[in-house]
Amino acid sequence: MAPCHRLEAKRVLLETALVMIIGAIFALAANQASPRGLALMRNYFPEGTGLIPLATPSHNAASTNFPAPDPAQLLAAELKEKGLQLADASLALRLFHDPRFKQNIVVFIDARDEQHYREGHIPGAYEFDPYHPEKYFDAVLPACKAAEQIVVYCNGGDCDDSETAAILLRDVGIASQKLLVYGGGITEWTASGLPTEIGGRNSGELRNSSK
Amino acid sequence: MKIDPTSRSRLITDTATVMARWLLGAAFIYTGLSKALHPVDFLKLVRQYDLVQSSLALNSIAAGLPWFEIFCGLLLLAGVAVRGTALTLMLMLVPFTVLVFHRAMAIQSALAIPFCMVKFDCGCGTGKVFICHKLLENFLLMLLSGWLLAGYGRQLSLCFSLIKPHTKQGEKNLGAGFR
Repeated sequence: MAPCHRLEAKRVLLETALVMIIGAIFALAANQASPRGLALMRNYFPEGTGLIPLATPSHNAASTNFPAPDPAQLLAAELKEKGLQLADASLALRLFHDPRFKQNIVVFIDARDEQHYREGHIPGAYEFDPYHPEKYFDAVLPACKAAEQIVVYCNGGDCDDSETAAILLRDVGIASQKLLVYGGGITEWTASGLPTEIGGRNSGELRNSSK
Repeated sequence: MKIDPTSRSRLITDTATVMARWLLGAAFIYTGLSKALHPVDFLKLVRQYDLVQSSLALNSIAAGLPWFEIFCGLLLLAGVAVRGTALTLMLMLVPFTVLVFHRAMAIQSALAIPFCMVKFDCGCGTGKVFICHKLLENFLLMLLSGWLLAGYGRQLSLCFSLIKPHTKQGEKNLGAGFR
């Protein structure tokens, strides 16, 4: 390599190092300043929640003599390991119509972000985004402490933010026996034609989902 | 006024490289912003790659990377430290492409579908994409970065090099070697 090109390469490498250092400082400062920024020291995924599973191959199920495992059973077993229980659609609906729901003895917790919550949640459900829990603890914790049963839900399907939220609540002292994870989530709720509430909690603005 | 063929060809190259620099900058600002505005979603996607075990390291990657991309994009748009930024982008794009490729291979083997039919959100800031499109896109971005790294795209730049050559001769050599 000619000396002038070697010098030039050195300059580019030095410039790259500068870009990386200044960029890293800028990036961390911007995250700190952003209202949506992440808290670097927080563990957002307690006990292995938050992993998006790879889909199970259909040919694998066919090539063995065992039937494919029921996703609901798998989820129930996974929750049981963490001391939580699974609620299916009929239990969630029963608790929604339970007179104790009106007395706040049964509580519903929506574990999705603010935007999705405002677009439609189970009527009367508390908003509790587990990735920004500090915003919601003041309202949610007293309600959970007073409740006998707490139904936590998110989108359903692959979403396991309800599980993350339930573990978070358990870790701040809510008895795990009270916590139920509604696996079907809002997707199943609306698909069943059940009403949702728009805006804030108890806004009274209900929308009937079409089946 | 008549423009000789050499000047015309240089004008076309200069215009194309400036456009390439802006395009690359805009692409990184766009993808960086789409991640920075939804950091939790990006954090979940980064976690799928199982890169690090510590939550501090994971959070730092998910919190910093989007803003770092925006920073690099702004440098390219303004034309500051262009070659250093282009090399930085190359150093990011190569491992990212390898990671995305491996993840796509895992999905392909799980679903038993043709490789190019694999569609997933790779955390690249563009939502769910077909893997072959993504790989092609990354290849083009690397090509553009390589072009800028070779010293093109000086026009309309605020400060093409942060570290200047010490002598007039060096400046001359630099001009001759990279134009």
